[in-house]
Amino acid sequence: MDQLSQAQSELREMDALAGMDSPVHRLHPLCKLLVTVGYIVTVVSFSKYDFSGLVVMVLYPVLLFQTAGIPVRLCFYKLRIVLPLVCAVGLANPFLDRIPLLRLGGLTITGGMVSMVTLMLKGCFSLMASFLLIATTSIDSLCAALRKLHVPEMLVTLLLLTYRYIGVMLEQVAVMTQAYKLRAPGQKGIHISAWGSFLGQLLLRSMDRAEELYNSMRLQGFRGDFFYADVPACTGADVGYVLACAAAFVCARAVNLPALLGSLVVR
Amino acid sequence: MMIEFEKVSFSYDGERPILDQVSFSIGKGESVGLIGANGAGKSTILKLLLGLLSGQGSITVAGRKMCRENLAEIRQKTGFVLQDSDNQMFMPTVYEDMIFGPRNYGLSKEETERRVDTVLARLGLTELKHRYNHKISGGEKRMAAIATILAMEPEIILMDEPSTALDPVNRRTVINTICALPQTKLIASHDLDMILDTCQRVILLSHGKIVADGDAQTILRDKALLEANRMELPFCLQGMARSR
Amino acid sequence: MHMADALLAPAVAATMYAASAVTVGTCVKSLKKEENMEKLPTMAVASALVFAGQMINYTIPGTGSSGHLCGGMMLSALLGPQAGFLSMVVILTIQCLFFADGGLMALGANCWNMAFYGCFVGYYLLWRPIMRSSLFAKLGSKAAGRVKIMLASVLGCVLTLQLGAFSVVLETAASGITELPFGVFVGIMQPIHLAIGLVEGLITSAVLLFVYEARPELLMDMNAQNASGGRFSLKATIVILAVVTALVGGALSLGASGNPDGLEWSLFGNAESGYSENMGLDEEHYGIASGAADAAAAIQEKTAFLPDYAFADSDSAVGTSVSGLIGSGIVAGVAVLVCMAGGFFRKKKVAAKA
Repeated sequence: MDQLSQAQSELREMDALAGMDSPVHRLHPLCKLLVTVGYIVTVVSFSKYDFSGLVVMVLYPVLLFQTAGIPVRLCFYKLRIVLPLVCAVGLANPFLDRIPLLRLGGLTITGGMVSMVTLMLKGCFSLMASFLLIATTSIDSLCAALRKLHVPEMLVTLLLLTYRYIGVMLEQVAVMTQAYKLRAPGQKGIHISAWGSFLGQLLLRSMDRAEELYNSMRLQGFRGDFFYADVPACTGADVGYVLACAAAFVCARAVNLPALLGSLVVR
Repeated sequence: MMIEFEKVSFSYDGERPILDQVSFSIGKGESVGLIGANGAGKSTILKLLLGLLSGQGSITVAGRKMCRENLAEIRQKTGFVLQDSDNQMFMPTVYEDMIFGPRNYGLSKEETERRVDTVLARLGLTELKHRYNHKISGGEKRMAAIATILAMEPEIILMDEPSTALDPVNRRTVINTICALPQTKLIASHDLDMILDTCQRVILLSHGKIVADGDAQTILRDKALLEANRMELPFCLQGMARSR
Repeated sequence: MHMADALLAPAVAATMYAASAVTVGTCVKSLKKEENMEKLPTMAVASALVFAGQMINYTIPGTGSSGHLCGGMMLSALLGPQAGFLSMVVILTIQCLFFADGGLMALGANCWNMAFYGCFVGYYLLWRPIMRSSLFAKLGSKAAGRVKIMLASVLGCVLTLQLGAFSVVLETAASGITELPFGVFVGIMQPIHLAIGLVEGLITSAVLLFVYEARPELLMDMNAQNASGGRFSLKATIVILAVVTALVGGALSLGASGNPDGLEWSLFGNAESGYSENMGLDEEHYGIASGAADAAAAIQEKTAFLPDYAFADSDSAVGTSVSGLIGSGIVAGVAVLVCMAGGFFRKKKVAAKA
């Protein structure tokens, strides 16, 4: 099934991106996480009519994409999942909010139109920021950052273990669906007669796998502790990056830079 | 004696025995192949040895009687290479998997580090150290799994089908690695060619009983015995048999 | 049903994060108590399986479309609610990070909407009481088990999806994002998710039934049938049901009164001014609602993080002045320049390497 191979290739792709090297990749994971969250909060906090104030936020992802050398194309592809709901919510705005804001020649721009565009921009920007975070940070260093933030050890370990086995499971499901399709040509999905057994079989085998896994842990003296490779400490550059970003976000949020720029030109 | 089984029996349901009064012993440095048809009881023996299952009879491993108190010590001295390396390599990177056992058994960070580097160098895997487990190939994964076991510096190594699902080159690498290991080894497998290459002694199981126990060359050449127990001659010996 | 970052005001997102974080904390604590190291590998493998399993398309007979598995219900039936919740949180985190399914900031809300209801409400309200009850006992224990699993999974999925969808609407409304009247939004979301819930419930029950036939010991509460807890759990069910009804009802009225137009719309099909007269009520005397509306407005103001929810004619709508538009154009130009510069330097680097 396409969704499956799609997921497999997306995982591989993100892994490959995170494995690259650039100044952004080398930043401390915790710093990147904080900046990303800060960016998204700033973006989302813009008022729904503040289109031009929001526009300046495009500079962060653009700069990061360029410095990290990550193709923007991959990110746009991911927008397909987020945008439908955002659009569904936003598309009604132009019809419901008809208060005119601005007249450009014969064209009247209403509040609804502005708020719709702003909403979609917010959707794109926040997605780009999360994408950039994971495209420049490997899952294990991100988890190290989470541990530093005192996220429960158990949850972080579960995240790593699950991530480790997602590849294995996707592979198995892909093989099974292929085997199913080969014997059931022309069927789009799993027929109702096999609804239970298809995943059920895999589930039973997975439970055996879990037991093997636990045995393997026990044999190595497992008593609830996991040990990870050390993560290098924060450098001055990392701290500088966080401070600079924070200052930039606050500045962008407090002062409508595009409007200022524009007023220089207009008057 | 490193491993001693004395009249060991095991059954899941209390009726149908999986192992029936099995006795054998393995000396220090011996390399023993455990063969038999599916369901003959090979994996059960390995699991009993590790204390993952408990049955009747007495088991001694590395001079310690199998019981709850000795379990940690026995497991520390025994390395088990699983059939599916994906189940053995559960941490994100090879390195983190290699430190898992030693650190859990209370070794210092420095000592662990030293062991990891020595083992990787010995197996020629230094390049794998910081690679991700989900991104290395099947052959590399099997070798890395052996490395995680060696990092615990065990006295006994147990292996369950170490050569399955490997291409010929990887299979040969694994066989050569096994041959070079000085530890006491017990290898359960259907790959009789591999057993012939790696073991001097073979224990043949059938329906929970030992049918034959002796020199690998003798047992693995005994066509009638093997076929009576749902196996056939190793491929490398089949040609000779035909030409004869 | 994944929420996007853009649909949430920071304060709403933070609230949902806090709610989910508290739940995670409670779960981690309760699992530690149970000494559940053994459960960790099972949880990891099960969540990886559910993650992959959600990508399988199940053909719905008689239609051209396909359905998917409901993860929360299945995981809590296999692992129990606490472990199930943690596993769902992990699945949602991975979906968010690697597949852009829901946003980083919306993760808290997503965990609540999809994991909390599925695992806790679904389990404590439906799965456990039904499994432990002596319903359908005259069918024989095996058949009764089958019917009960079917009933619990279908009801569970429907209920959890309804609650989840409703939360999506509430969170969006509380964030002041959409102009869509509350009632309309609810009217769109709930029926869609009713259908989805039914199908997901059937698929989930099919998988659980298979497990029941093959290895019933893997399912929660399967052996507790004859436990003396029968009466207790019925009582507990009623209590929980009452609490949930009160909560949902309270939230509904609060949300609706925060946007009386929406409620009006949904109740009377946009009856406009006729509303007050028909009801024999005066807007001013509709005291509860206006009080709640004020409170809601106050909350909304706080939640909006620098709430200049300016209206079109006020001065603060700087964003849409001519200078604002021109300035935006300049910023866009700068962005394009940055891209070109980046491309230029990369090419140079490649050339230098070659």
